[in-house]
Amino acid sequence: MEAIWLYQFRLIVIGDSTVGKSCLIRRFTEGRFAQISDPTVGVDFFSRLVEIEPGKRIKLQIWDTAGQERFRSITRAYYRNSVGGLLLFDITNRRSFQNVHEWLEETKVHVQPYQIVFVLVGHKCDLDTQRQVTRHEAEKLAAAYGMKYIETSARDAINVEKAFTDLTRDIYELVKRGDISIQEGWEGVKSGFVPNVVHSSEEVVKSDRRCLC
Amino acid sequence: MFGRSRSWVGGGHGKAARSIHSLDHLKYMYHVLTKNTTVTDHNRNLLVETIRSITEILIWGDQNDSSVFDFFLEKNMFVFFLNILRQKSGRYVCVQLLQTLNILFENISHETSLYYLLSNNYVNSIIVHKFDFSDEEIMAYYISFLKTLSLKLNNHTVHFFYNEHTNDFALYTEAIKFFNHPESMVRIAVRTITLNVYKVDNQPMLHYIRDKTAVPYFSNLVWFIGSHVIELDNCVQTDEEHRNRGKLSDLVAEHLDHLHYLNDILIINCEFLNDVLTDHLLNRLFLPLYVYSLVNQDKGGERPKISLQVSLYLLSQVFLIIHYAPLVNSLAEVILNGDLSVFSSKVEQDVQKNSAKSSIRCFIKPTETLERSLEINKQKGKKRVQKRPNYKNVGEEDEEERGSDDNQDDLDKTKGTEASSKSIRTSSEKEEIEMVIMERCKLSQLPISTVTEQNTTDEEKSAAASGSEITNWNRPFLDMVYNALDCAEDDYYALFVLCLLYAMSHNKGIDPVKLERIQLPAQNAEERNSYNHVLAEGLIRIMNYAAQPDGKIRLATLELGCLLLKQLVFSRNSSIIKDVHLACLEGAREESVHLLRRFYKGEEIFLDMFEDEYRSMTIKPMNVEYLMMDASILLPPTGTPLTGIDFVKRLPCGDVERTRRAIRVFFMLRSLSLHLRDEPETQLPLTREGDLIKADDVLDLNNSDLIACTVITKDGGQVQRFLAVDIYQMSLVEPDVARLGWGVVKFAGLLQDMQVTGVEDDSRALNIIIHKPASSPHSKPFPILQATFIFSDHIRCIIAKQRLAKGRIQARRMKMQRIAVLLDLPVQPSTDIMGFGHSSSATAQHLPFRFYDQSRRGSSDPTVQRSVFASVDKVPGFAVAQCINQHNPSPLSSPSPSSGSGSTGRCDSVAASSASTPSAAQSPSDDASAPEQPQMTTSGQTMLTDETLSAVSKSSKNAVKNSDIETANLSPSLIPAQQPTISLITDDNTDALSVESLTLVPPVDPHSIRTFSCIPQSSLQSEAEVCKVKEVEEECSD
Repeated sequence: MEAIWLYQFRLIVIGDSTVGKSCLIRRFTEGRFAQISDPTVGVDFFSRLVEIEPGKRIKLQIWDTAGQERFRSITRAYYRNSVGGLLLFDITNRRSFQNVHEWLEETKVHVQPYQIVFVLVGHKCDLDTQRQVTRHEAEKLAAAYGMKYIETSARDAINVEKAFTDLTRDIYELVKRGDISIQEGWEGVKSGFVPNVVHSSEEVVKSDRRCLC
Repeated sequence: MFGRSRSWVGGGHGKAARSIHSLDHLKYMYHVLTKNTTVTDHNRNLLVETIRSITEILIWGDQNDSSVFDFFLEKNMFVFFLNILRQKSGRYVCVQLLQTLNILFENISHETSLYYLLSNNYVNSIIVHKFDFSDEEIMAYYISFLKTLSLKLNNHTVHFFYNEHTNDFALYTEAIKFFNHPESMVRIAVRTITLNVYKVDNQPMLHYIRDKTAVPYFSNLVWFIGSHVIELDNCVQTDEEHRNRGKLSDLVAEHLDHLHYLNDILIINCEFLNDVLTDHLLNRLFLPLYVYSLVNQDKGGERPKISLQVSLYLLSQVFLIIHYAPLVNSLAEVILNGDLSVFSSKVEQDVQKNSAKSSIRCFIKPTETLERSLEINKQKGKKRVQKRPNYKNVGEEDEEERGSDDNQDDLDKTKGTEASSKSIRTSSEKEEIEMVIMERCKLSQLPISTVTEQNTTDEEKSAAASGSEITNWNRPFLDMVYNALDCAEDDYYALFVLCLLYAMSHNKGIDPVKLERIQLPAQNAEERNSYNHVLAEGLIRIMNYAAQPDGKIRLATLELGCLLLKQLVFSRNSSIIKDVHLACLEGAREESVHLLRRFYKGEEIFLDMFEDEYRSMTIKPMNVEYLMMDASILLPPTGTPLTGIDFVKRLPCGDVERTRRAIRVFFMLRSLSLHLRDEPETQLPLTREGDLIKADDVLDLNNSDLIACTVITKDGGQVQRFLAVDIYQMSLVEPDVARLGWGVVKFAGLLQDMQVTGVEDDSRALNIIIHKPASSPHSKPFPILQATFIFSDHIRCIIAKQRLAKGRIQARRMKMQRIAVLLDLPVQPSTDIMGFGHSSSATAQHLPFRFYDQSRRGSSDPTVQRSVFASVDKVPGFAVAQCINQHNPSPLSSPSPSSGSGSTGRCDSVAASSASTPSAAQSPSDDASAPEQPQMTTSGQTMLTDETLSAVSKSSKNAVKNSDIETANLSPSLIPAQQPTISLITDDNTDALSVESLTLVPPVDPHSIRTFSCIPQSSLQSEAEVCKVKEVEEECSD
């Protein structure tokens, strides 16, 4: 039953408390789990496969740190063991946008000297009329930190899938190029295909896939 | 059958959604469950969907309909969940069930709903269920479930999990069994759970934790941490060519994680837990492994050891992170005062109950696994051995349906436990499991046995602090620390020692008295009049080495050394450093000046590097905590940047890096020296933000040199502006509507960062880019201006180009001169670069900017009107000199009375001294070009003027740029013969400012300048000058 996956990426979702982190995660998990109609229902952990190219599946493990911010050791460890993350803000809440910088700083403190690949997510884009953060300034901020920017809506299911898959693709490229390497003792990225072989798995997979086709 | 009923169960939104959330629907679900008590391949999906739906209804009911929970409870529906779990229903069902439960508990908001769900021990039954933990997914969802539950813990809910009578606390005991799980996320979850448990203030529960679990858990935890440390050490020792860095940094991060976790526990401040934890940490890990390894590096021996650098590094981390007073004080006491006897004597009376082996402080493996210890403890707590106690509460029907496997499991378990407990049933071992309660007082004085408090004088202390002089003070650890400071070879160990001392002295938990013993002051120490000479000398030696051309001191070491020295010799904001030490330090500073002189070149890049290094040093001051998070410093210092190690943490590679290093050493030692002598920094940075013209400043542009132009920005914007060129800046102004002849600055940028290029097919246009100086080495230079300037004709365009180009060279030249002054170098003949060095009046007149009416120079003449340059103090950090006989200057005109003007006062020296040279007065032309004149003064003279000037400027409150005395003309065809004046006014109230008189000391004869300034000039001359400039530029670059 275990699906074959090339890599497992561990992701975190961070941002101010009301920006809709759990909604976004919940929306993304749909399809595998029943629609829990109550919008406040949160998920604190789940894993899901994402197919980034035909036949190339990446397993995403997403951990929500909600409620644990009190302990520095915990947040630190979560951050450190993640390869990427979605940094959410609410486009109708300017404050949450201003806090993006603090979030980045905090993660930076925790993961030094490494870096987490972030994508900046402007959430609740269905509420365009109440918008307090323009797309332009968000893009500018994202560019300044070398992030991508995407606007999503969990309610209308806009770009939710894309936010996750884009991030996954970016990380995948970095792994492929060797900019992110799999290390013993670090679980941000795990290689799933060939046990014990880390860097060359890409080649192996390619040929395998061709055979199957 | 219900097998195909999925369509409406998972029916989602729309019409069905309404009916899904109802008591009726729950009743239907109940019906489904009763019909499908056995999991088969056929109904698996149905069951999963049913469980989901039930969860959904419950969450809905939590907020909307309490009868939902009544029904759920009444029908014991949780039993069905359990029942499904207990059948070998496969991972699919398990995962779904765990996930659903997780969601359920996470989203229940009402306390009463939560109580419903937790009652009857069902949740505990799920917790103790033997899932297939080899399945990663199940493991993840299981631990997540526990974590979610732990987040719901409080003084009320804890009773559902902790059973006082049976001494059961499955949530906690099951969780900690995974404390060393290979998956980091599982370990993190375990830590979260434990922390969530500890923070619940429920005395019986905490007593249970302490008495039954604390020793096994903490001893295993400590062993686990220690094993990582040994692995880490191994990684350092076997490293070749930095190949282990990846793994090493993970191990270091892991150690940090542990320390943070320990600290989080200690911060909760549950007293008796902290005692146990402190005891284990100190006596099983920190002392026997870390501290013990400080000495005995060579001897073989059985005790596990780690290398010196690792030990120092890890101890620094401990002191940086953990601030729990009893722990850090005991640890510091041993390091600073202890001797080897701490490893041979009995630790403590309480502990002596244990076997002889464990009473000696050593790093040993716990005698049994955590799981086993917990099991044994549980048995001891109860009279009879119980199999899974939580199961007994489960309904009968459930009991009947339990698979035989389960029973078998439990039987095996019981057997195993019995066997194991038998096998290790020596009396001492049994004792060990008993709680060891450390009394606080004993604990804190525990390692001090060898050292008695003494009433020592400062001299005695000082002598004591110098260690080796007194033999009866046997302090091997401290000696080791001092010895490691020696960096004759390299600073591999010294850096760690500095970190350790820094961390100790900044630790909030450490009793300052402890540090006093070695005369290392804590951060906010009392006033004192002596300091640790051995340490101070060690630090100064580091500085001396650092200033050597081939010094093997890394910048991080030097910076940290400077920090520590400041801390050491400062008492209540005043320096108590001994003259001899200060002299040595001055020697080092002198050396650093000599070192930098070797790299001082006229090249453009030197200035950029100089300023860039200053910026990066000020923007990013040393953060010791970050430094000690970096594993790369654990490996021997390397020189190559190919390792990716940050520049400050390695040795320089190549000339450029050696230059950068020399610049930084110079900055650090200069700053240290000034600080210790209690003198303000007056010359750095070369450009002060506050001294610059800024947008929206209002300038008096009467008589100044302005060129009208159209500025077309990149995005197509087009504005009319006047271009004005200042000493350091070019600015774009527009007329001030309020006052004739005044202008509002719309943009100002540094000339030195400007690029001017002609436009190919338009002789009236120039492309101008000004980059913002990079704020960090990684950021790209960001253009603050990128525009095409169009002038009214090609002549004005040429003039503008020349003026900008010369201004750029001039601005850089001036800064280079100031660097030269800083380095006590003779100021180079600079004027030739501008083409007016050879008393050619023609060229001199081309000096571009900010000319003041000569009469204003006459400082001695208070009647002279001064309004025009009332706020010249805003001029960028140059030549601040001023007449002392001024009247009360308006505060507006002197924004930075002491620091601002005082600072720039020194900078003035070049100009002032040149102005005072006899040659300056000889002829009008010489006079005019005086500031640019080759500096006749020797470096000694410069210094002299420097000092006198700074003395003068201290009392002065306003600033004049040296350009103020520059007088030059523009080609008369373009500009009126009278010298233009630009002055900077930030306030409209100019008249108030006019009281001030600004002058240079000594003043240039105004008369001669006036004569000179009116010399007419032809544009041809200016053409000739351009050629000259080019020549000179070439000369210069040679």
